[in-house]
Amino acid sequence: MEKFLEFKDVSYFYQTKESEIHALDRLSFDIGSCEFASLVGPSGCGKTTILSLVAGLLSASEGEILLDGKKIEKNDSRIGYMFQRDQLFEWRTIWQNITLGLEIQKKKKDEKMLALCEELLKKYDLYNFKNKKPRQLSGGMRQRVALIRTLALQPQLLLLDEPFSALDFQTRLKVCDDVFEIIKNEKKTALLVTHDISEALSMSDKVIILSSRPASVKEVMKLNFEGSTPLKKREDKDFGKNFDKIWRNLT
Amino acid sequence: MKKINYSKAHARYLKKLKKEKALVAFWQIFVFIAFLGIWELFSSVGVLDPFFFSSPSRIATTLATLASSGNLWIHIWTSLYETVLGFIIAIVLGTIIAILLWWSERLRKIFEPYLIILNSLPKIALGPLIVLWVGSGTGATIVMCVLICIIITTMSMLGAFISCEQDKIMLMKSMHANKFQILFKLILPHSLPEFISVLKINVGLSWVGTVMGEYLSSKAGLGYLINYGSQMLQLDIVMTSIVLLCVLAGGMYLCVCPLEKRYPK
Repeated sequence: MEKFLEFKDVSYFYQTKESEIHALDRLSFDIGSCEFASLVGPSGCGKTTILSLVAGLLSASEGEILLDGKKIEKNDSRIGYMFQRDQLFEWRTIWQNITLGLEIQKKKKDEKMLALCEELLKKYDLYNFKNKKPRQLSGGMRQRVALIRTLALQPQLLLLDEPFSALDFQTRLKVCDDVFEIIKNEKKTALLVTHDISEALSMSDKVIILSSRPASVKEVMKLNFEGSTPLKKREDKDFGKNFDKIWRNLT
Repeated sequence: MKKINYSKAHARYLKKLKKEKALVAFWQIFVFIAFLGIWELFSSVGVLDPFFFSSPSRIATTLATLASSGNLWIHIWTSLYETVLGFIIAIVLGTIIAILLWWSERLRKIFEPYLIILNSLPKIALGPLIVLWVGSGTGATIVMCVLICIIITTMSMLGAFISCEQDKIMLMKSMHANKFQILFKLILPHSLPEFISVLKINVGLSWVGTVMGEYLSSKAGLGYLINYGSQMLQLDIVMTSIVLLCVLAGGMYLCVCPLEKRYPK
């Protein structure tokens, strides 16, 4: 498969007054187009740092990051970022939240972009809530709105930073399915960061296991579970075996 | 809206709420009337000396005399004008300064110790200087009022700006927002509830500023009236002015309250 996102010997150091923290150590991996990849690793190993690097919010101390063969720039519009909490703005309606990115990039008059937003809302059962405020929606719906807000800018690569961690378990499974479906439908490449092994296993085509800090790639697992949704994939007979393998790798 | 049939318990619950509300209102009025009644009674039988403590009826008479001479309106208008103007200037300037300090972290670091000192300094100490600099009268009172309100406005608003979740700022950045957009689309709306509570605090503080300013030097206003009354040992005038201050400050507070309902947290 063609390499869509590529990390080449990327290192990163955080600077503090007392010392320097070596967060990433010659990290190399790649993700193919339309592939769903997950990063798992011990807590504090620098997973979020990786996403920040891809998003251009930080720049690598050493090495390079390529997206579709081109170096990632600051403010790269090919990338969409989804955060731990939905981060919806309470003072805005759902529609205003979804079009926030268009507003910022002065594309609020772009009929095509607006049509896409409407279409996404309709497709994912949120159209009736268009003029509601976020607090009137359930946790799962809010997360879907957050995803649509990210998709509205038509990114090619989605970065998901533990997007389900603030949800309760049942909602989480459901939203997992929803988000997976939306991402596959819209044919996006995704990079998920999570500390939940089964979440990583059920959603991804590929799991990248990281070592503790300074993070480097320990192992890359290609997955091929049966089932069309994350929930169904959890029933695959090899699911448990793979879970154990990752678990042993992390401890 | 779909009509929902609630259980009888719901009706009972609503009734209980209503009853509670009525009860509180009743006691509020009762306390007010009892206070006035006891005050009037005690001063008429001689437990309280009306010369020092005045009485509701004497306050009413004083009010009528002041109103008929036309002076009452001048005093009320002067104080109200000074307070509202000082309040508005302090809010606007204080918020602008907070925005500047939010904008530049370096500026914030430089001015932090000064802000802390200014906040702890009793502003009344600057009174004589203000009078010398801007002259006595309305101007000095407004300056005093602004000084008292502005520091707390700046500090509270800056605190609210900084308390905005880092991830929300990252979200804006990931959508390529510039600093202006982060300010206007995120930081300011995020800080609206805090802004409203600053307004409420400043209603009280601006009246402190006005009365202090008028004590220092003035020819009119309720603070002037209190000062005048106490020097002439006409405590009826002092009490009347205090009652008027209560009414005006309460009224101003009520003007701010609807904002809070409109923009809840």
